[in-house]
Amino acid sequence: MDEQDTLTIRINDREYQVNGSPTRPLVDYIREELQLTGTKIGCGSGECGACTVILDGKPVNSCLIPVASAAGKEIQTIEGLRETEDYQALAEAMVETGGVQCGFCTPGIMATLYAWKQQPDLYEGSVKKALKNNLCRCTGYQSIVQAAEKVVNGEER
Amino acid sequence: MTKRSPHDPISKINGETKYIHDMNLPGQLAGAILRSPHPHARIVRIDTTAAKQIQGVKAVITARDLPNYTFGPTKIKDWNILAENRVLFIGDEVAAVAAESKEAAEAALKAIQVDYEVLPAVFESEEALKPGAPVLHPETETNQPMLLNVERGDVNQAAKQAHIVRGGRFVINPIYQGHLEPIAALANWADDGITIWAGSHIPYRARETYAAAFGLPEDQVRIIIPPIGGSFGAKYVLKVHLIAAALSKAANRPIKIVLDRKEDMMTAHPRVPLIMDVQIGADKDGNFVFKDAVVYANAGARVYWSPNIVATACTRPDSVYHFQNIKAVGHLCYTNISPTTCMRGFGNAEMLFAVESIIDELAEGLSMDPAELRMKNIVREGETTIHGYKLATCKLDQCIERVKELSGWNRRESLPANKGLGIALANHVSGFRAIDPRFDGSTATARLKASGEIEVETGEIDLGQGMTQTYTEIFKKVLDLDGLVIVKSGDTGRYPFGIGTLASRSTVMGGNAVKLAAEQLKNKLLEFASTHYHGEASISNGRVQVGNQIFSAEELAIQYRSANAGDELAVRATYVPNTELPDQTSYGDPSPNYPFAAHVAEVEVDPDTGKTTVTGYWAVHDSGIIINRVRAKSQVVGAVAQGIGWVTMEELKVKEGKVMNPSILDYRMPGPLDIPPIEVDFIEEPDPNGPLGAKSVGEIALDPVPGAISNAIKHATGIRGYELPITAEKMWNLTNQ
Repeated sequence: MDEQDTLTIRINDREYQVNGSPTRPLVDYIREELQLTGTKIGCGSGECGACTVILDGKPVNSCLIPVASAAGKEIQTIEGLRETEDYQALAEAMVETGGVQCGFCTPGIMATLYAWKQQPDLYEGSVKKALKNNLCRCTGYQSIVQAAEKVVNGEER
Repeated sequence: MTKRSPHDPISKINGETKYIHDMNLPGQLAGAILRSPHPHARIVRIDTTAAKQIQGVKAVITARDLPNYTFGPTKIKDWNILAENRVLFIGDEVAAVAAESKEAAEAALKAIQVDYEVLPAVFESEEALKPGAPVLHPETETNQPMLLNVERGDVNQAAKQAHIVRGGRFVINPIYQGHLEPIAALANWADDGITIWAGSHIPYRARETYAAAFGLPEDQVRIIIPPIGGSFGAKYVLKVHLIAAALSKAANRPIKIVLDRKEDMMTAHPRVPLIMDVQIGADKDGNFVFKDAVVYANAGARVYWSPNIVATACTRPDSVYHFQNIKAVGHLCYTNISPTTCMRGFGNAEMLFAVESIIDELAEGLSMDPAELRMKNIVREGETTIHGYKLATCKLDQCIERVKELSGWNRRESLPANKGLGIALANHVSGFRAIDPRFDGSTATARLKASGEIEVETGEIDLGQGMTQTYTEIFKKVLDLDGLVIVKSGDTGRYPFGIGTLASRSTVMGGNAVKLAAEQLKNKLLEFASTHYHGEASISNGRVQVGNQIFSAEELAIQYRSANAGDELAVRATYVPNTELPDQTSYGDPSPNYPFAAHVAEVEVDPDTGKTTVTGYWAVHDSGIIINRVRAKSQVVGAVAQGIGWVTMEELKVKEGKVMNPSILDYRMPGPLDIPPIEVDFIEEPDPNGPLGAKSVGEIALDPVPGAISNAIKHATGIRGYELPITAEKMWNLTNQ
């Protein structure tokens, strides 16, 4: 692809024309061009999950995705997710269970929890399996798992 | 509309909280650091000519461009801003550049030419002390910046009379704090002083250190601390902050430096590696009669916070048990590795790993239950311990009983093959008098704003543990008006002086100051209402009542200002704890109170691979009255998870001074599937010196974990691990040797 070509990507239900390098990591585009800094960079190499966004319904590390391969796909960042009902239920549960400490991994974790909530079967129903690519150094995960289970169990009742 | 605090959990969940890497200043340049590729070398020549000519490069600095003051964050002043004549470790800072883009900065780093003359290097503590070892800092003559001797009683005599002695050499390898937010700094050097935005949970010491580095008065250095994305000890006083400021001066523009993960890990200041030779003796009934310890601590190339870790390792665990006679020798050693520093647990967790392991060996030798042997020897409420800690409260006995009950300790003898249960105990402090001999309390201000909201300001730092919410809750327990309570912190230019968040001090030290401020504001408010409205004033349902008149906080705030030349009703309260600075022999009562804990771990060890899986964990804590159970529990669970990582998988592999695994992929930390269900309980009795009866919880929650897990491994396999981490490979080697 020529650098002069423009790409169209869809983030949080809005379309953007992307100029410049097609290999630029999606996370840089999101944070630097769109100023959507809710998505964090913990490692830049797909190992910590702090940059997780939703791409066509699935959680991905946005530091590993070149903007070009996000073209034509539906992307949701924390700024879009936080307007949804499912997200708000998860957020409320995270506060109740103490699933947040320093908060740096939290937006990425919320993206994964949101994806898990939509399609738990992708992770054999296990929220721990869904979270295996999200590193949290503060909480020991227990309160995060409890928050997710609380939302699901609350709905079943 | 009130803006939500960036420390509020909802702000963090929603991604609204701005950490340093989310912040930008107008006109800001990207900073980058050239680091030494050698563990020890003389700098023969540095040529920055080519680097300066690269388009977009605005400044290139070396030591020649900088002042040359003697400074450092501890008593041992061995820092510089950039390396002067020699580099002392791989990663030592040699030069720095500021450029319009990260790419230009990277290109400039590559264009700087440095000629080195490689010198002999030393990497191990004991090697560094031998005659003939290369000396890192000629001004100290040896590689030993500190030697600590502590002795009480007569250990030699007690050792002769002991019925049984157990011990060994215990090794703590470097581990990485694992903060998710990489280390970063934003700095702006202006005519009236420097402003640095940086993650530091000890910002006033940082300010003092940086002012000394530049030869400025302290009030010309302002440090602003945005929310910190994890530290665990990594973000104290850091050269990255200094270098950003120096670059800003040189380029006359604001500078932002964000270390990438590889650079963060290559140059990390990990937990101080310790070698501990420890022996404990007991009489035939199981009463301990002595403890003898020699500690070799690897400070790395400069002193960050390591002397304090040595002092803690050499003393604190002695206040968990009645050892009767104790001796400790602590050697702090310079070597050519990256300077090492503190991590949660701070020497206490390390020495407790040795102590708790040895106690299980003694129990086996004495054919006693390990929990029973501990119960026989623990310190008790009301006692003054061997080093002078005054235990106004101590529910350690109840912690042991409760953790036995929760974990089903009685099934220990009938567990299936390859499964084990291990117990370990711990103490800690809630602040420590010797951090700063000048002052160890805390100050808070409280101000009734015209809106009826109350703003509380503190010099302590929220590093994610929830200090902001804790202080709000403490304040509202004393004075609960109908307006919001907003806690502000993290700016040395605006808020009261604070020692910072270390030694588990924020809840007790800062919390006591907040409680005092709330009490004073309440008294002043009632006094004003009473005088102004002529009658006895009281508070109910968030409002102030005088006779049959009822006022909101907002109404009173307005009345107060009208009557006081526009001033807001404000108080400033300082908590001065009744602590003692430990004397020359390390004797004294250094903390307002002391938390205790008893933990039990259950493990399963795969006999084919040696892999340990922690299958259950129970933690019972005496942290006094718990101010918020959800947050306290989250502290404990998070600490236990860190401990599981420490014991079973984590090691920063440093070979001849080079970090061999500088990525999260190669330095594996626990994920959700590595953590078993962790059950937490609290024995809640008020401590007279804690705010609302509280004691600390942050660090003690990690202290017993290494001992509990390694004791469980021994119970499961019959094999004792003396070196952390006890990885599958090590277990397999121990089993098959």
